Amino acid sequence: MSRPRHLWRWVIGLGVLAGIAIGVFISTNLLRGKTDGPVQVVNAPADVVARGKYLAEAADCAACHTAPGGAPFAGGLAMPSGFGTIYATNITPDPDYGIGRWSADDFWRALHDGVRRDGQQLYPAMPYTSYRGMTREDSDAIYAYVMRLRPAQVPNVVTNLRFPFNVRLGMRGWNLLFLTDSLPAVSVGSSPAWQRGRYLVDVLGHCGECHTPRGMLGQMELSRPMTGFALGRFEAPDITPAGLAARGWTAAALRDFLGSGLTEDGSAFSDMHPVVMLSTRRLTPNDLVKAVKYLMGDTPPPPVSLPPAPAIAATSPGRTSYVALCAGCHGLDGDGIPNTVVAMRGNTTLRLTDPRNLIVSMLDGMAAQNFPYLQSMQAMPGFADKLSDQQAADLANYLRISFGGQKGDVTPAAVRALR
Amino acid sequence: MTPWRPSRRQMLRATLIGGVAVYLAPLGSRAYAALFEDQLLTVPDWNGRDGTLKYRIDAVAKVTGQKVFARDIRARDMPHWPQQQGHALVLRVTKADRLYNGFDLSVLDPDLKPDRIVTAADLARDGLAFPDYYGDDMLLPEGQTPAYLGQAVAILIYRDFARFRFAKYKLQFNNTIVRYGEETGPLARNPWGSSRFVRVAGPTPDSDDIFSPVKQGPFEPTYQNHEPVWPAASRDGDVGAQGMYYANAIADEIAHAPPDWLVLTRDHASQSADTSALEPDNANGWYDADRQELHLVVATQSPQEVAENAASMVAKSRIGVKRLFLHPCFTVGYGSKDHYNMPYYGLVAAVYGGGVPVRLANDRFEQFQTSLKRHQFDMRYTIAVDRKSGLLQAFQAAIVANGGGRANCSVEVTMAGATQSDSVYYFPKSDIAATASASRAIDCGAARGFGAVETITATELMVDEIATELGLDPLDFRLRNVRKTGMRTSQGAIPQGVQRGEAVLERAKAHPLWSGRAARKTNYDAIHPGKYYGVGFAACHRRYGTGFEASFAKVEVAPNGQIALSHTANEIGTGTSSSQAVACVRWLGRPADRVELAVTDWPEVPVEAPADPAALTDADQNRLQQNPRWTPVSASASSASNSSYYFTHTTREAARIVFRHGLWPAALAIWAARGLSMRPAAESARWSNGALTVAGLPPLGLAELAAQAHARSLVTGATVHAFNRWRWGEADFKIEGVSQRLALDGLAVRYGNGAYSLLDRQNVSYPPPRSINAMVSSYTVTAALAELVVDAGSGKVALLKHHNIVECGNLLVPELVSGQIQGGAAGSIGLALSECLPLYEEGPGDGTWNFNRYHLPRGSDVAVWTQTADVLPPLSDTEPPKGMAEAAGIPLVAAIVNGIAHAIGHRFRSLPVTPDQILAVLG
Amino acid sequence: MSLPTRPLTVTINGKQHGPIDVPEGMMMIDVLHEMLDLTASRLGCGQGICHACVVIWDRDDQTSETVPTCITGADFFNGKRIRTVEGIAPRNDKGEVTTLSPVQQAFLDYFSFQCGYCTPGFVNAATVLIERLRRSPIARRDVETTVAAALERHICRCTGYVRYYEAVRDLILKTPGLTRTTV
Repeated sequence: MSRPRHLWRWVIGLGVLAGIAIGVFISTNLLRGKTDGPVQVVNAPADVVARGKYLAEAADCAACHTAPGGAPFAGGLAMPSGFGTIYATNITPDPDYGIGRWSADDFWRALHDGVRRDGQQLYPAMPYTSYRGMTREDSDAIYAYVMRLRPAQVPNVVTNLRFPFNVRLGMRGWNLLFLTDSLPAVSVGSSPAWQRGRYLVDVLGHCGECHTPRGMLGQMELSRPMTGFALGRFEAPDITPAGLAARGWTAAALRDFLGSGLTEDGSAFSDMHPVVMLSTRRLTPNDLVKAVKYLMGDTPPPPVSLPPAPAIAATSPGRTSYVALCAGCHGLDGDGIPNTVVAMRGNTTLRLTDPRNLIVSMLDGMAAQNFPYLQSMQAMPGFADKLSDQQAADLANYLRISFGGQKGDVTPAAVRALR
Repeated sequence: MTPWRPSRRQMLRATLIGGVAVYLAPLGSRAYAALFEDQLLTVPDWNGRDGTLKYRIDAVAKVTGQKVFARDIRARDMPHWPQQQGHALVLRVTKADRLYNGFDLSVLDPDLKPDRIVTAADLARDGLAFPDYYGDDMLLPEGQTPAYLGQAVAILIYRDFARFRFAKYKLQFNNTIVRYGEETGPLARNPWGSSRFVRVAGPTPDSDDIFSPVKQGPFEPTYQNHEPVWPAASRDGDVGAQGMYYANAIADEIAHAPPDWLVLTRDHASQSADTSALEPDNANGWYDADRQELHLVVATQSPQEVAENAASMVAKSRIGVKRLFLHPCFTVGYGSKDHYNMPYYGLVAAVYGGGVPVRLANDRFEQFQTSLKRHQFDMRYTIAVDRKSGLLQAFQAAIVANGGGRANCSVEVTMAGATQSDSVYYFPKSDIAATASASRAIDCGAARGFGAVETITATELMVDEIATELGLDPLDFRLRNVRKTGMRTSQGAIPQGVQRGEAVLERAKAHPLWSGRAARKTNYDAIHPGKYYGVGFAACHRRYGTGFEASFAKVEVAPNGQIALSHTANEIGTGTSSSQAVACVRWLGRPADRVELAVTDWPEVPVEAPADPAALTDADQNRLQQNPRWTPVSASASSASNSSYYFTHTTREAARIVFRHGLWPAALAIWAARGLSMRPAAESARWSNGALTVAGLPPLGLAELAAQAHARSLVTGATVHAFNRWRWGEADFKIEGVSQRLALDGLAVRYGNGAYSLLDRQNVSYPPPRSINAMVSSYTVTAALAELVVDAGSGKVALLKHHNIVECGNLLVPELVSGQIQGGAAGSIGLALSECLPLYEEGPGDGTWNFNRYHLPRGSDVAVWTQTADVLPPLSDTEPPKGMAEAAGIPLVAAIVNGIAHAIGHRFRSLPVTPDQILAVLG
Repeated sequence: MSLPTRPLTVTINGKQHGPIDVPEGMMMIDVLHEMLDLTASRLGCGQGICHACVVIWDRDDQTSETVPTCITGADFFNGKRIRTVEGIAPRNDKGEVTTLSPVQQAFLDYFSFQCGYCTPGFVNAATVLIERLRRSPIARRDVETTVAAALERHICRCTGYVRYYEAVRDLILKTPGLTRTTV
């Protein structure tokens, strides 16, 4: 499966911004990049390196910089967009292919300003828009850690977008408009735990890059932080306190979810699965509590309990499809099987207002997925070829009404649109 | 397949056990047919319903979907049973640290309430209890702390399928059904057993030992606070005191090792694992109260054991059973259906079926929850080696195998592992202490490898590490230390026959996978950033058989030349039916046309065997063997890789007698009748293209010879019994006036179409019971090379190729041997890299484990297109076939882990090696 | 008994069964085993993981696919045509197997299985694969990859897959029309 690469609607704006960018270029003439220079030797104390490793995990660097089957942090992950494919880069300390000649300042500049050592602009596929809030101390620790990695002689794949999107300079204008020093809080709070959580979630975890809607120019719409957005095939759901509470989330469940990928109400899937495996599960219990404190706020709203399901005739088309295709694993009563198959009753995906994720799951299925602590959820077959649009809509409505407390408003057209 | 023609002569006889007549008739066998022929069982008129069972065990049946397993059988397949099929499920505890306080079925609608609920109270009232071997509390009474996770508390019986099915949907995974009380902590119990094996060699590897398990014996501890306490050392005390004297001396020498010794101490751990036989455990039974008959269809690797235990179980009860009909079926278990308790739960379910046959069949969750597990081993090894000579000096091992909630065969498995932990190497001194502990884990069994996978893997990992420490090529180091013919094992036994470990190691050393590994690693790693290439090696020796090997075989030649073979062996999926048929070729020129396995009724050669052969003393045996019907063991289960050698022995001996005293004199008579006066020696005869040839004489076909043998009333059938305790029992038998010494202890022959006559045995000689102390005496050596790549990004290990080397004598069916190697390799890959069960609360005892969490190797994991194997040519064309099924499943485990060490420079000692473990090292 | 039922009509191995009353929510494997006496679609995991229980669903468009019966409700098959392993080999009017299918014969020739519990699933998967290749042949060099992909989901615990895979590979390579030499 692929991870969403903060898809690229922002590139839409590149052309618009080209003029601004040229002006900026003239006014600042800041293209002062370096391409060679001494190979850096970093001898940070072990505790700094260990902290850097922890921070790199919290910032989920590996998700993009380690391609499937590729060398760790050697880049190469392809992020397709409508404008061409962007590739994550090699951040191992290889002097020629990686960042072996980068100083801590260079590294900080990339994280903070979105500028490469050679002076070129990064595309915000690299989430400097979130990392900008990182402390210099933490940036240096991550730098100390990555400079200790085994150098990988893996050349970077050149990202080559179509004109005018290949004009990296355009990003300077984009940055002027959209790069902010801090992101708006998703919840209300002031406790030290909440503050730390905010740093973990907004800066290191860069959760908003997927969960915050993006505007016409691909920027995060900071007026609606974390209210959910579909960058890829699946929607990254609303994870505001209100959004979470509406689906019944409690702080304890959220901690379980981030710590293990599993709760009673579902398991991490699609792009969230590697986030859990590579990043959130490695957070200390303390940090997990704080991240959740921030997501839910100092005073979390009470979870909305699942309303009782209305009776649905056993012969209704949706129920018929459920019994034929789903009940074998999810159970006739939607209870799932512990440690094997998620329950449908109260499942967080069924409680989403938008049926998108449910429909996509039904059509595409899901690969078997491993979780920490010897946990693993079995594969789910896709039913695209076994369900007509009408049948899929009926099934989705049955599931939403019976197990999700949602309306049965899915239409065949909505299914067709997602095929 | 030839249709059976049951006849009076094949009438099935009952064995009487505690007043219960036991009829053991595998489904589809002639014995099964004879039950009807003799009207022991009668088929009511089903309004013309076709009552014939299409039950077959050949490959065609398997590939065309016929009923093959006990699992496939329903009441409707048993023409004499009521046709309604009931179903049962077992309620089990999922906690073992608090009191069990009954259960609550209120979740079930009235429609779905069981027709019968069986609890401990029912069993107590009716006097039904487990056979001794299985311990107490077949169903746990209320108010007790369970002995282990998954212990059964009640059997719920339904007289139909649908209600059973939907009730089970409600009950399974519902943890409000079983009620618990006060927390008590898990039961604390003494270990199931503990033994220590100390050996101090004489001055040379083949000289007499100063002290050894074979010479003086192993010894056992006492227990304090459930921990072993070993005897006080004394040079002149009893065996335990002396043993501890030498054990202390070894410890002392290691503690004060000379400077040129390298001493390494390492802790190893293997995982608890599931055999994952794809047929889940099951039984189907019918109790006919009117006729006081109990009928059972069971999946078992040991039908005799089930017959005896089931009979004594009902004999001791108050339920009223006069006759027990047991129908073992083809099955698969890899050890998990050998001495396992499901048949007895099936028996109980049948008893309470109210006249309806009851089927008890695990689903996979239940199978994980209950099936016999592979023991989890903790092993602390210390090995001392002389740096200069590179020779191993001493070996200390402290081994604890977690035996789980019931004893079963945990002691045997643990000791088998302990006594083979020296692998293929010679140690002048060894001190191996082994304990099978009792715990709240699921009970364990004789999983493929029988303890040796775990102990030998640990040894092979350490040997590799030592070689690297010494700067030696790991194969060169092994070759310096490999045990050669005549050298003693850690038990002080000199293994039988030529020891071929050296030949196997030489093969591996010459293999290109090994010889070019360093250069390939440099190359591969350079052009594959983030990947680490490695090649690992490991060897193993594995005994085959148990030291209590016995079997019957009957070979008959019909007048038309058809060969019929009957045997006590059971088919457990390994191809015993094919290989035993082929075992007839050597003397009869053709495989048997009809093979009947799992035969238990041997009226031609009546034997009497002691209840507990392990308890025999030398004096007992000397006294008892005067009884010409006495034998130490009547028939052993199909397990422990015993078919190819031990079972083949009886098949071949029976065939040889038919040849020597039937076909051969018939051939001489035919040639003489044609005026050919040559008198060739029998030894010069050869079978070629199904005809018997001797230089110059016209070849004779089997049919012609058989007709002549029948016409002349020569020997046309032989029934034999043999016993092996690392050596065959022998006796003199007089056939047609000529006395000959045979490796048999029972023999009957048939002349022409007559009845069998039992021959008197004279001068019987059995190996002394004491020789069981050798624990290991017949070995197969195997080795494996693993070529693999570690992916640093994911921590995953991918096998590029593996190569297995096996020496196993003459092959009976080469395809079966190669299939065993390939299957053993897949099993090894699972144990090395993925298969793992938590022992306790998070483990399979909670009833939620299935293959989604327990990762069996798939086709993509086993190097399916690139793996190779090499079977050493036999030493001669008379070298017997040797058991290899278990040995083939061992060395690749350590080869993979050693390969990972080669790849990334880290030595893992805890199995399986998971991506997380690798990432933690590489991170 | 008052469990609600639904009528099931299904064509299995060319023979129409039903309508029979099947309790609502019963999985197809239970119908095959307990109601129709077809016991060879075997229960291995019950969760659609091991694929020992798969049957062949023959679609009206002449394509076929395997479906795990342990997790598929009987009702799914209402009005559909399926083949179980019992129907792969031709049989005479007494129901006796007269000859084996090429896949079955290959599995015998290669000693592909030992216990045979997983064999029905492998027979069905390989049969579907061969039929697919007959419709759309593949390049010879792709045969191993194609076989591996078709059989990957099937679990075998006895013979370590090699003999199943080799049997199917060699059958494809030697059967005219399943492969093409041009790219």
